[in-house]
Amino acid sequence: MKRDRERERKKEAKPSSSSSMAVGIGKAKDLHQSLPDSGGMDELLEVLGYKVRSTDMADVAKKLEQLEMVMGEDGILQLSDTVHYNPSDLSGWVQSMLSELNTNSSDNSSSTNFGIVLPGESSSTTMIDFSNNKQIDTQQTGGKMYDDDPYDLRAIAGGAIYGTIAEESPVSRNGIKRMKAAAPGSEAVDVPPESPKPVVLVDSQEVGIRLVHTLMACAEAVQQDNLKLADALVKHVGLLAASQAGAMGKVATYFAGALAQRIYKIYPQDGLETSCWEILQMHFYESCPYLKFAHFTANQAILEAFAGATRVHVIDFSLNQGMQWPALMQALALRAGGPPAFRLTGIGPPQPDNTDALQQVGWKLAQLADTIGVEFEFRGFVANSLADIDASMLDIRPSEVEVVAVNSVFELHRLLARPGAVETVLNSIKAMKPKIVTLVEQESNHNGAVFLDRFNEALHYYSTMFDSLESSALTQPLSQDLVMSEVYLGRQICNVVACEGTDRVERHETLSQWRNRLNSAGFDPVHLGSNAFKQASMLLALFAGGDGYRVEENDGCLMLGWHTRPLIATSAWQPGSTIIE
Amino acid sequence: MVQIREYGEVKVNDDDDNNNGESERFCINDHLDLLIEVLKRLDGRSLGAAACVCRQWCSIARNDSLWEHLCFRHVSPPPIGVRPVVSALGGYRRLYMVCVRPVLSRLKRRRIGGESEVVRRVWNQNEVELSLSLFCVEYYERLLVGGGGGRVAGDSPASSLKFLCMPVNV
Repeated sequence: MKRDRERERKKEAKPSSSSSMAVGIGKAKDLHQSLPDSGGMDELLEVLGYKVRSTDMADVAKKLEQLEMVMGEDGILQLSDTVHYNPSDLSGWVQSMLSELNTNSSDNSSSTNFGIVLPGESSSTTMIDFSNNKQIDTQQTGGKMYDDDPYDLRAIAGGAIYGTIAEESPVSRNGIKRMKAAAPGSEAVDVPPESPKPVVLVDSQEVGIRLVHTLMACAEAVQQDNLKLADALVKHVGLLAASQAGAMGKVATYFAGALAQRIYKIYPQDGLETSCWEILQMHFYESCPYLKFAHFTANQAILEAFAGATRVHVIDFSLNQGMQWPALMQALALRAGGPPAFRLTGIGPPQPDNTDALQQVGWKLAQLADTIGVEFEFRGFVANSLADIDASMLDIRPSEVEVVAVNSVFELHRLLARPGAVETVLNSIKAMKPKIVTLVEQESNHNGAVFLDRFNEALHYYSTMFDSLESSALTQPLSQDLVMSEVYLGRQICNVVACEGTDRVERHETLSQWRNRLNSAGFDPVHLGSNAFKQASMLLALFAGGDGYRVEENDGCLMLGWHTRPLIATSAWQPGSTIIE
Repeated sequence: MVQIREYGEVKVNDDDDNNNGESERFCINDHLDLLIEVLKRLDGRSLGAAACVCRQWCSIARNDSLWEHLCFRHVSPPPIGVRPVVSALGGYRRLYMVCVRPVLSRLKRRRIGGESEVVRRVWNQNEVELSLSLFCVEYYERLLVGGGGGRVAGDSPASSLKFLCMPVNV
């Protein structure tokens, strides 16, 4: 789109023939050639046949935006028979279009097709938003249309806030285009005085940005212990979030709730909801590929490590419903040479109603194993924390007899809540003498020392997550899975934001942090092979909205992300060859 | 003995055939081995349609070995030891309906561009493995849902495969 380029150029403020914004118009080659300077005209547009002075670029861009705003949805109908000449003189042509459309629309009494945002009193920036009617973002599938709800006139807060976020708005997936005009609105867009009420469209994207900013301001207030301000802001967020449709509104609601809990010091009880948590996780499993990806990639690594073994033992740090193991057992059943004897040790938290959930899962897995003809043995361990388990309890058999694998999916980060726990567990893992350790964790740092940093990281991370869930909502809007998955993630959000100390168990860390930790504990990385990558890619292709998911390989580890943002990472490890006494 | 003379015309010269004066008419239902050979070469949709023709065809078309042939037609060599596993998990027909068909059609849709219009029944080892894994997960999930009763009869797939049934947002 030419507009994109104009804006980009304006930001970069220098014409560059080797710029990287070849917009796929087939003239990329031309852009790389050096063009003669033709009297101050913009080189790139010149190639396309438009003559615009480089100095006029900002002006023309602004006018084009105004033109689009004015045309709105029914723009074509508003055009009269006036002939506009000389489109290659882009500046003049757009001006003539604008003046014509403005005279036309001022005759209409219901001029709700365009919105003009008035600049704030002291601000010198003019803000113009794009409505989502135009499909600017080609990544957006399904054509989700934001309604042009007429909002009340709102004065924009000082431009300082909005000025800084122009480049960084990752939460809003449709890419807001905004610009600052150097000359404040001297090219006055006609506000028709005849219209009874100046209708200003505050586009929902702008509400989204305001939401993010209010959330961040609230978090900052909490960080500075300014609880009165935080309280006011959190209420404001609630209001804004209620009017925001889509993923952004939901994320904001959860974050606002968590902030409110932090402010009022109502800390959620984590223990009561253990059984609900497993149900929520099942729904999360079904609605999006993250858990499936985790299971399939970890299984592939374990399968490859088990090659040639006749007896195998898997230690699962968080058994839950055991959804990971049927696929592994099936792969073992069908491997060349027949299946090995499969022993599974599952570790889980104590259940509030004292039922033996682990044994029930083990029983079901045993039934499956019996069906497919795999020799199966199960043992369950109930433990409050992984640090309570050590290798001697687990009946580890000698490695000549049995090959051991340790598997931890979204579990190890909880140990970071207690100092020293993770080192204890890593040592006991080493004592188990595993052939492979598979680790799947969220790819984000929610364990920083400063609350505000944690909050910002979490906001970006969960916004992306909710975004990806939303894409599946397009095909199954009434799905219960979606709501449950959001609740599941909402509980994590609550824990990250509202809890502290040993209660805060969702202490996610990035892959590089885990790498450091495991390396210094004496583990060597094992590279996940191409089979895992292929299987993961295929799995993702099966999901509707699969276009947005990305599998990346990162130095032997696999990362699953939504568009450009990695969200979970699978890595595999083995105890180092040098024994550290 | 069957002679095929011209296109569409079959002359039967069967000594055991007791049709008097109608020896030129050929009825496929008398030659089930032929029927099976024909059905073996059909694609899934046609096989399903064949099952709707009459009761006899229905019972033949539901024969799991036909569906096994369909599933592994172009995978060479067919994996060893798969049959007992798949049979135990619900059979090839179910595997095809629940996993293979959606997987293939979903992946086929992804391969846009230069692919021909011909329905591609060829699928590779990775797709086979993935389908089998998903099938196993689905069986397990039915176990979980169904309680202690073991295999739950029913044709609708368990919820973990719901994502396969969802229409692709093309």
